[in-house]
Amino acid sequence: MFSEGLFYAFSVLAVLGALGLVLFRHPMRGAMSLVVTMISLAGLYSLLSAKLIFVLQLIVYAGAIMSLIIFIIMFLNIQDNDLPVEEKRFAYTAGGIVVLIPVVYFLIKIAGTIPGVEATIVGSGFGGIKEVGLVLFQDWLLPFEIVSLLLLVTLVGAVVLAGKRRVGK
Amino acid sequence: MQDFVSLLPLIVVGAGAILLMLLAAFEKLEVETGALISMVFYGAAFFIQLVVGGGPQDVIFDKIFNGMLATSNFSMAAGLVIFGCGFFTSMSCHSYFGVNKFCTLDFYAIKMFSVCGMVLLTMAQELVTAFIALEIMSLGIYILVGYDRTRLTATEAILKYLMLGAFAGAFFTMGAALIYGGAGSTKFVAISQFIAANPAGQPLLIGGAFFIFIAIFFKIAAFPFHAWVVDVYDGASAPVTGFMATALKAAVFALFANFIALSSGFHGQWIDFLFWVAVLTMFGGNLVAIGQSNIKRMLAASGIVHSGYLLIALVAINAEQFTGSVIGYYLAAYAVGTLGMFAAMSYLGGSGEKRVNFDDFKGLAKVRPYSAAAITVFLLSMAGIPPTAGFMGKFYIITSAISAGQMALAVLGVVSSILSMWYYLRLVISMYFHDASESFETQGAPLATISTFVLVVFVFAIGLYPIVI
Repeated sequence: MFSEGLFYAFSVLAVLGALGLVLFRHPMRGAMSLVVTMISLAGLYSLLSAKLIFVLQLIVYAGAIMSLIIFIIMFLNIQDNDLPVEEKRFAYTAGGIVVLIPVVYFLIKIAGTIPGVEATIVGSGFGGIKEVGLVLFQDWLLPFEIVSLLLLVTLVGAVVLAGKRRVGK
Repeated sequence: MQDFVSLLPLIVVGAGAILLMLLAAFEKLEVETGALISMVFYGAAFFIQLVVGGGPQDVIFDKIFNGMLATSNFSMAAGLVIFGCGFFTSMSCHSYFGVNKFCTLDFYAIKMFSVCGMVLLTMAQELVTAFIALEIMSLGIYILVGYDRTRLTATEAILKYLMLGAFAGAFFTMGAALIYGGAGSTKFVAISQFIAANPAGQPLLIGGAFFIFIAIFFKIAAFPFHAWVVDVYDGASAPVTGFMATALKAAVFALFANFIALSSGFHGQWIDFLFWVAVLTMFGGNLVAIGQSNIKRMLAASGIVHSGYLLIALVAINAEQFTGSVIGYYLAAYAVGTLGMFAAMSYLGGSGEKRVNFDDFKGLAKVRPYSAAAITVFLLSMAGIPPTAGFMGKFYIITSAISAGQMALAVLGVVSSILSMWYYLRLVISMYFHDASESFETQGAPLATISTFVLVVFVFAIGLYPIVI
């Protein structure tokens, strides 16, 4: 009962944070509302007894990555008059909502068909570092390996797009 | 051992990508050398893939990779198309970047990384693996599209493509999550067993498949997610556009075919949906293409139409005994025509791509008769005139649709093919029936010219192959 209340609280907070990210005009406010989403997601993970993911979500996403993003925004020193003038933004937002209504309706209908299952107590080892590690390196070795390729492309690409170029070399 | 050999082409290209990435740090190495090195690796991978062959479905490293990768004749054919696209695109790039100077060695490294992602995508038998492979491929392509930082259209193209691609990626993960919720696994084998046990169709599974289809439609530019393709193809440099139009489409269609051929029950549920998407994609694409005056934009729109034909082939597959031969053949036939077109555009375009409109190619046949003849061959192949590869590809697709009982789809395919003559022949008319107003001088290395004429040979070779054999 208590956990159900927590679930609703975290879910609403996560959605509100995501809405704030899209709707706030100033990037700093957007970044701060993304932090709210990240932390509420961590709460949802903890309700699922996913201990390691909960900790990683807080340390890596809500902590490290978000502070990096906020530092960058602070370095850019964005004032109100630096922001673009978006005259039709409410029209676009309304249009986007209209397009999304059928998708949301569809999703709610799908979610309605999920049979209600009583919460069960998982084993005490569930979601710990050892258990996640075993699953990651035994069952999911291939995705784990090819993510390294993905990170390499991203790294080289970031250097190419933003770095200094020696053309022709 | 067999597993390792099946994986060898991928390893060769991956090693080539890392080698080029490291070589990019050296001052002495010219960018032209990078093109040649990448050609060597693509050629080696192509050759190994050809020698290794495919055979029926064969799971690679079943114990270690947990059944997430598999090869088959179809994935092998798609891999050959992708390596070939990489090879000929490197040839075009070699000439193109001799005139348009903004390339560095990293360009070829990123292109090879993205080929790695494509080949992984053709072999993926699991949704998370497929998602990561899709992102490796897409990230590489985003960077190639936006490589020219000085041109505004390239910046616009990368921004549009990145945003919409991220959107598609989000839909894909959403779909994978729903399917996992329904079937309890993301592996294709387990999903097909679940469908066989629950033939009525579970809402979670239907919803998940629908979202994955949306993501795939974005990538192959099917209706109604085709709007980005014209601007993005226009903004990218000519060889990159050719690479996107062919290799990326081959990889995504391989995934799409593997996914939809899970089981005949699953395929049967989606036939009506795919029918309408195929029809709207063909006619929507034709409508966009007829209005274009820029050749790259016209080819982008015609790429939408070709996605429509491939969707016809997907409607008509037999999920029980899926071979993918029709799709593989059409992908190869489409790839040689389109690659040839963009190779010709690469060397005829000139610096800053100054010749891109239909009017810029007026009288090409008077000044450069061989180039004009080659372009005509590619256009006729795309329009589907015998004895080119494009004709045989369309012939197989239409006959497979008829034998699957989809008569309406076959007729609509033929109608759309006739409509598409309008914009293909427009370029032929402007090349042959006007006087030349300029001399079409080209500078730079002749590799793109050579690849154009090699591809002309391929258009006829692939077209005649089924008749001769």
